[in-house]
Amino acid sequence: MPLDAAGLLQFVIAGLKNGAIYALVALGFTIVYAATNVINFAQGEFYMLGGMLGVFYFKALGLPLALVVPASVLTTACIGVLVEILFIRPRKDAEPMPLIIITVGVSMLLASLSRHVFGSDELPLPFFSEGGSFSVGGAAIERQTLWIWGLTLVAVVALTFLYGRTRLGLAMRATMANREAARLMGIDTAWIVMLSFGMAALLGALAGVAVTPLTQTRFDIGTGIAIKGFAAAVLGGLGSPLAAVAGGLVLGLVESLSIALLSSSVQGSSIYKDAIAIAVLLLVLFLRPQGLFRRASREKA
Amino acid sequence: MTVRRRPDRNEVLSIALVAAGLIAVVLIPFVVTDRYLLRIFTLVGINLILVTGLCLLFGYTGQVSLGHAAFAGLGAYGSAYLLLAGWPWLVAVACGVALASVGGLLLAMPSLRLKGHYLAMATLGFGEIMFVFFDNAEWFTGGSDGLQGIPPASLGGLTVTTPEGNFWLVWAFASAALLLVGNVVRLRPGRALRAIHGSEMGASACGIDTVRLKIQVFVISAGLAGLAGALSASYIGSLSPSSFTLHRSVVYLTMVALGGPGSLAGSAVATVLLTLLPFADAVIPGITTSAAATLQDWEPDIYGLVLILVMLLMPRGISGVLSSAARRIGLGGSAPERPVGEASTP
Repeated sequence: MPLDAAGLLQFVIAGLKNGAIYALVALGFTIVYAATNVINFAQGEFYMLGGMLGVFYFKALGLPLALVVPASVLTTACIGVLVEILFIRPRKDAEPMPLIIITVGVSMLLASLSRHVFGSDELPLPFFSEGGSFSVGGAAIERQTLWIWGLTLVAVVALTFLYGRTRLGLAMRATMANREAARLMGIDTAWIVMLSFGMAALLGALAGVAVTPLTQTRFDIGTGIAIKGFAAAVLGGLGSPLAAVAGGLVLGLVESLSIALLSSSVQGSSIYKDAIAIAVLLLVLFLRPQGLFRRASREKA
Repeated sequence: MTVRRRPDRNEVLSIALVAAGLIAVVLIPFVVTDRYLLRIFTLVGINLILVTGLCLLFGYTGQVSLGHAAFAGLGAYGSAYLLLAGWPWLVAVACGVALASVGGLLLAMPSLRLKGHYLAMATLGFGEIMFVFFDNAEWFTGGSDGLQGIPPASLGGLTVTTPEGNFWLVWAFASAALLLVGNVVRLRPGRALRAIHGSEMGASACGIDTVRLKIQVFVISAGLAGLAGALSASYIGSLSPSSFTLHRSVVYLTMVALGGPGSLAGSAVATVLLTLLPFADAVIPGITTSAAATLQDWEPDIYGLVLILVMLLMPRGISGVLSSAARRIGLGGSAPERPVGEASTP
């Protein structure tokens, strides 16, 4: 089917919606990487736990939706902190590689534990607000998509404020720049690392709980989103949080528009849609491992 | 130095251990009459082939792959496709191995220039892409239904159908893989690999072409994974994409990690232990069915926890535990207990 302007806009909206989700997950990767040089393979499980705990608080405990989101996000943040205290901190030498392997184990453990606790069904959550979708230029925007954008915006603004305006943010940035030097300047870097895991878990969970009304959730969705979030983080160069957000939005758009192109030309190509993000990831890793934005202008000149 | 040394006690012990292992492999089918148990031991052999290659890559060179299940899948589907088309078994298996090796080469050439953690993510991405492919490419893999009726192994008109025959066949390949990798790590390339593990920059300053060597190691390990996959295809007779998931890749990685860095013997012991875990009902005498089922249900948790705890509490793995135990009882530094990779360079 040929694409008209409204159809294209629909794909752009879908891309920006997914992109916002990827951005939150990518932020989690970036924050932990900045503090520890570790790629946290369990980042996707925080996303999964956000949705799972949301369903749990809503169904089993009967909390109102307005409380479900903060409750599940904060619980996951505590789990993130716990993961750091139990599994990351005891390994004193802080070499990245063993820690990365530990996070691979944590990912498997969290996914499997959550299957034991919550079961292996796809679990739904109601939309955050009632009502139909808006129509913009012939394309439909669901209310939940607005929630996703809104929550992502709040998270990004809060992070920007934290990094730019607070002493804690300054300490975090100092730790990112040089952990050893930061420690010598009297910054409690162990505390910063713990906080980073907590924040990464919080952001992942926020994405997970916000998207569950649209996609449902399951114990085994962590790996898929981790790859996409990581691809977005790598697009952003794994350094600046804002670049991670941009990486997420770019990845979402690229993915959505490639699907638009493929579905209008190749029959049955949509099953390979999950492969697009991975292909982007591999391409960026191979061609521009420093990310899309870093040093781009200097190299062009 | 070209002075010929007398074989020392370590070497004598190693040779004795290898001989004992070979005799055990030959004799096991005569001793073990339980067909199910023999089948499990055959699966151990298949896993051992893959883990041997992964041990060379991860255990010796320190490169993390989260995509080895995909290489096993390439070998399995590649060989099964040709077997179903009527090709001779050995040729089909060789083509499966070649397919996995080429896949390894294509992935390794760009990724091994990257830092270690990028390699881990690149292999993870590769594994996931291959899983999507296995799950959907019906013309090649049968899609999510997989392939059935894959012909059994046959060599020169002799078809291997008995459990004993399959056991010997698999373990012959496993022994060859161990011998190959054992020789690689014992000789000059092995020292270079350990140098890379220690410090890549240092190794390259010593004139080692680290990227080239890492690529070679990656291709060997991908090829061995392909061999394991090809053997399992014709042994089990059917294939399904669920055998080639990230979960499997992590399990293989756990086997090497539990074995300890730079130790083939440790990896072998860990492979036996972790492969037997889901078959507790057959292996542990007197275990109740429900206990075995619980163990099976909690298998991923156990693998995950083992991986974490090994990295936290026993970073030298089984080989480290064995060698310190050996020192305590006065066998200090004797070969079999000592990790292969630890042997001081002659």
